[in-house]
Amino acid sequence: MAVLELQEISVPGREQPRLERVSLRIEAGERVALLGPSGAGKSTLLAVANGLLQPQSGRVLWNDAPRARSERARRRQQARIGTLWQDLRLIEELSVQQNLNSGCLARWGWPRAVLNLLLPLDSEACAQALRRVDLSPELLDQPVAELSGGQRQRVAIARLLRQEPLLLLADEPLASLDPRLARELLQLLLEQASAPRALLLSLHRPDLLAGFDRVIGVRQGRVQFDEPAAAVDSAAIQALYAGTAAAASP
Amino acid sequence: MKPAAPLLVLLPALVLVPVLLLLPGLLHGGGWDLIGRFLLAALQPSLDPVVLQSLLQGLAITAGMALLGWACSLLIGVVLGLASSRLLWRTLIGHALPAELIRRLLAIPRSIHELIWGLLLLQVVGLQPAIAVVAIAIPYGALVARVVSDLLDALPERNLDALLSAGSPAPAALLTALGPPLMPGLISYGGYRLECALRSATLLGVFGLGGLGNELLLTLQSLEFNELWSGLWLLLAVMLALEALIGGLRRRWGMPSRFGLTRTGVGRRGREIVLALVLLIPLVAGVGKALAIDPAALLQWQPLPPVAPDGWAEALALPWLQLAFNTVLLTLLAAALAVGVAPLLLLLVAPWPWGQRLLQLVWAIGRLWPPPLTALLLLFVLKPGVITAALALGFHNLGILGRLLLEGAQAAGSERQQALQGAGAGPRLALLYGRFSGLARSYLAYGAYRADVILRETVVVGLVAGTGLGSQLNESLSSFAFDQLALLLAVYALLTLLGEDLSDRARHRLLQQ
Repeated sequence: MAVLELQEISVPGREQPRLERVSLRIEAGERVALLGPSGAGKSTLLAVANGLLQPQSGRVLWNDAPRARSERARRRQQARIGTLWQDLRLIEELSVQQNLNSGCLARWGWPRAVLNLLLPLDSEACAQALRRVDLSPELLDQPVAELSGGQRQRVAIARLLRQEPLLLLADEPLASLDPRLARELLQLLLEQASAPRALLLSLHRPDLLAGFDRVIGVRQGRVQFDEPAAAVDSAAIQALYAGTAAAASP
Repeated sequence: MKPAAPLLVLLPALVLVPVLLLLPGLLHGGGWDLIGRFLLAALQPSLDPVVLQSLLQGLAITAGMALLGWACSLLIGVVLGLASSRLLWRTLIGHALPAELIRRLLAIPRSIHELIWGLLLLQVVGLQPAIAVVAIAIPYGALVARVVSDLLDALPERNLDALLSAGSPAPAALLTALGPPLMPGLISYGGYRLECALRSATLLGVFGLGGLGNELLLTLQSLEFNELWSGLWLLLAVMLALEALIGGLRRRWGMPSRFGLTRTGVGRRGREIVLALVLLIPLVAGVGKALAIDPAALLQWQPLPPVAPDGWAEALALPWLQLAFNTVLLTLLAAALAVGVAPLLLLLVAPWPWGQRLLQLVWAIGRLWPPPLTALLLLFVLKPGVITAALALGFHNLGILGRLLLEGAQAAGSERQQALQGAGAGPRLALLYGRFSGLARSYLAYGAYRADVILRETVVVGLVAGTGLGSQLNESLSSFAFDQLALLLAVYALLTLLGEDLSDRARHRLLQQ
């Protein structure tokens, strides 16, 4: 079953189309890297994939189903799509546990959501989510604003785990991290993406491709190549970045 | 168990529980048809040219009084604000004693509502157009003075020290180092005061000091609701235009916004600002002439009637504790209603795009509609008392707080809310978790400040709805009992100063956490 399928997606832009007739299919358990120079359309593609942006033409299917019509069904669909934002979008004023639980708002009704602001709920499940991202459960009561940068990244991933999505999306999550932290975080994300889950992660550094099953190269709004990671060689990457600043680096 | 930030915003709305429980007991069932007619008339304002002409004339007088009162208050406020700045005196004479003294003295004019000033002046100098102007200028001047001195004293002194140690004379150093950084905050606050002045001038009119307020009261009393709504829609148009103009200029000139009082702006386009200030002078002079303001007439005092021989004993025998208690209760109820209901309503309408627009319209009407008129309307169906007065006062302040909350929510950015909605959260929960979290503290801090303003405003509804110090003030005024009046004013001033102190503390605590 395809967790995500894009069929002939086009998104217009000001000068050139942001996406032009892009098609791709991601199966459960697949870990896919989206590679391309800046401005290639990676962020637009991810925005279409998480339903924030509706394409001008083409079809998007999540678990083989198109965008739901009714508000309620739409929310259920949206709950199965988890996004790791580059700026994390944690709620600074709340504790770690309340932030983790904010991933459950789609399942929770009003009463639980309000109660969570009064006395944080589901401590055991939250502690487990923290352990899975190598954080101590002692952090649960801490305000998010007091965490270090690395801890915040992990809390954001733990919140995704609480959401229990099938499709994990991440838009350049490693961009502002030092190399060691970037590798650790990437490892963590790859570990979470076993079937029935799938991962689609955009990158601008070709040196971090180890661990992915597939690589999709995007350039000027079009899919340049879509290959198993082992088949992507440096020539293909050179061609992808040709004429841009990143072409000089490996 | 400590409520998290987004819940804090909603906690004051708990006041709805007792209010709604007590409300059925307050109904007297008399005037539901009148309320119905009033609401229906909103859609059918009178277009009679005679009515419109008289309303427009009233509106012009109100706007003129507001402009003049505001301009005078700015002038007074800047002069007195400089005079009560600790930094200024320390730089000029070495210690800040005069500043402390002037600060304390200014607390008195500030603590008394413009309506009381207006009614007092009315007794002393008789009805004339200048009264409303002076009544606005006195408390507003003292308020602006406090803001100016606070702004000045909060500025970093490094630049000043640098100039002074380079041998520059103190006045020149003060002007150079402190003038430019003071301007953005001052102009932003000044613009906000102009909006307030328009509301105050309308209110003063309701109590007979001329202008549109008077017309509104007369049409309400004679149940001419269609004419009433013509006046209201006109006033709404002027107020929204003024708010848009001031907001536009604030953005164009790079001035700080009102929400999150700690943020400072930078200021741009100095020449335009100077030009606007220069143009104000002929405008103010022209309006003064058109309204036939005669400052000399203010000096012709009428002799006050003699105080009754046993007046003081009678004054002391008033139920002071109950009066003060009702005033404080009215303040707390109205403040909690205004602070708590605004976010609650925003949450309720969150799923519908038109809901927010409807709220904005209702809030705008709440802002401009003088609270004593709401109280009069409520009296059609409710018995007079603290809750009726609190509903009237709460509705007015809901209009002000609601607008600020919405401005704050828009300025706070939508990323978090979007992220939550992207993960399947409903629009209400996404708003609660995603936006209210970041806003909570600054909104509540503004609410604390507003509670302080509401305490001053209790007099306005007290006069109509028969509760608290305000109603006693009305009786004492109309029976010329100046001994009672003096005591009442003293108690009022004491209460407001206490309230001011409490609200300042609450605000600091909220903003520091």
